Amino acid sequence: MVKEDKLQLLRDILLIDDREVAQAINRRIETITDTIERREKLSEKVDPIIEERLKLFVEEIPLSLGPVITDTLKKQIAESKDQVVEALYPIMGKMIKRYIQSEIELLSENMNRKVNDTFSVVAVKRKFRALFTGVKESDLMLSELDAPNVNEVFVIQKGSGILLGNLSHTATVDKDMISGMLTAIKSFVEDAFEGGGQDLEAINYELYSIHIQNFHTYYIAVVISGTYTKSFENKLENRLLKLSKSLSPRISTLTKEAIDGVLIEFFKKWRVQKK
Amino acid sequence: MNSSQSKKIVILGHFGVGKTSLVRRFVDSMFSEDYLVTLGVQVKKKVVTIDDAKVTLIIWDIEGNSSISKARKSYLTGTHGFLYVFDVTRPETFENLEDEMDFLANNFPSIPVCKIGNKSDLLLTENAKEFFEQEQYKDCDFTSAKEGNNVENVFQKITKQML
Repeated sequence: MVKEDKLQLLRDILLIDDREVAQAINRRIETITDTIERREKLSEKVDPIIEERLKLFVEEIPLSLGPVITDTLKKQIAESKDQVVEALYPIMGKMIKRYIQSEIELLSENMNRKVNDTFSVVAVKRKFRALFTGVKESDLMLSELDAPNVNEVFVIQKGSGILLGNLSHTATVDKDMISGMLTAIKSFVEDAFEGGGQDLEAINYELYSIHIQNFHTYYIAVVISGTYTKSFENKLENRLLKLSKSLSPRISTLTKEAIDGVLIEFFKKWRVQKK
Repeated sequence: MNSSQSKKIVILGHFGVGKTSLVRRFVDSMFSEDYLVTLGVQVKKKVVTIDDAKVTLIIWDIEGNSSISKARKSYLTGTHGFLYVFDVTRPETFENLEDEMDFLANNFPSIPVCKIGNKSDLLLTENAKEFFEQEQYKDCDFTSAKEGNNVENVFQKITKQML
């Protein structure tokens, strides 16, 4: 054996483990290089981490930055009111202008329809009313435009708040829950402002009023839109008294469907309108 | 009055015993660890079927009170059934159980009441479990709004008693 071969043999014997380690490291480096350099492989590894971080970031933003942003905005608005007004004026102005325009268009359409309807029974009646009451025909016309409408009627058992009957065209919130909450509000107000067994008779909110008429074992709540005038209230009260005369003696025996039927019949001429 | 198919249930008990969580678990099949105090009353509805008959439960989840006598009377009138809830981990919520039951028996005779020990998932030791095996708790039902254990059953039970 020549000297070089012997040296190689010695090298093989002594360095075989190191070579295997070096080869394994090389293979690993190649895999890592491949992962880093090939986009799809890299995204496979990195995307879930980024997504998780992003999700966390989005969740944390309102909590961590929300109060800071709100405080900064408040401070900014307080310190530079004029600039804020300046910035908002064109936007708000346009919005208000557009709203008023559309309302005027609506009003003018309604007025035109009424004027064109000069010889209808309603118009003739109005003319007579204006003649005998001294109220201008135009004022009567305007009052007709925002006439009160019955939107919904609820017959509710006192105390339990259980819905006995209902007349409505909307299917938004559950009617049983409305009657329960209405009774809870009514109970709360009657308890809180104790005045010797008095009953809550009306709830008013921006565009609607709720007229409440109490009877012995039940009460009737009527949701009204439009201008809720005193004369309409009187008319409604009389109507509900008539309804109670028909309902009270047999309310304990009537099913919900039967009471619904009575309400439909009773408010037929009142044209219960959709909201 | 014809209300055979609609029944009002009022949930009574101290603050923080899990009244709202019980109702939420029963009606919405949900649970949240966040505690929000009930102000006034929350009304929920669920239709259950008992022996082929549909019964609409109108559930009044009222604000917690250390004693039923402090609850608004108007919330309790017209009730068909009561669920009295206590927290098994807080003795102050069930130490006056007997007095509370007496109050209901005197003021609302013939109205069914179910006594419920809630948060039963937190009854971890044998001692605690043995405590509720005593005579005065034998007709109590134990629920966990968090895990949903027995919640459906107690509502079924009170509904059957109301019919």
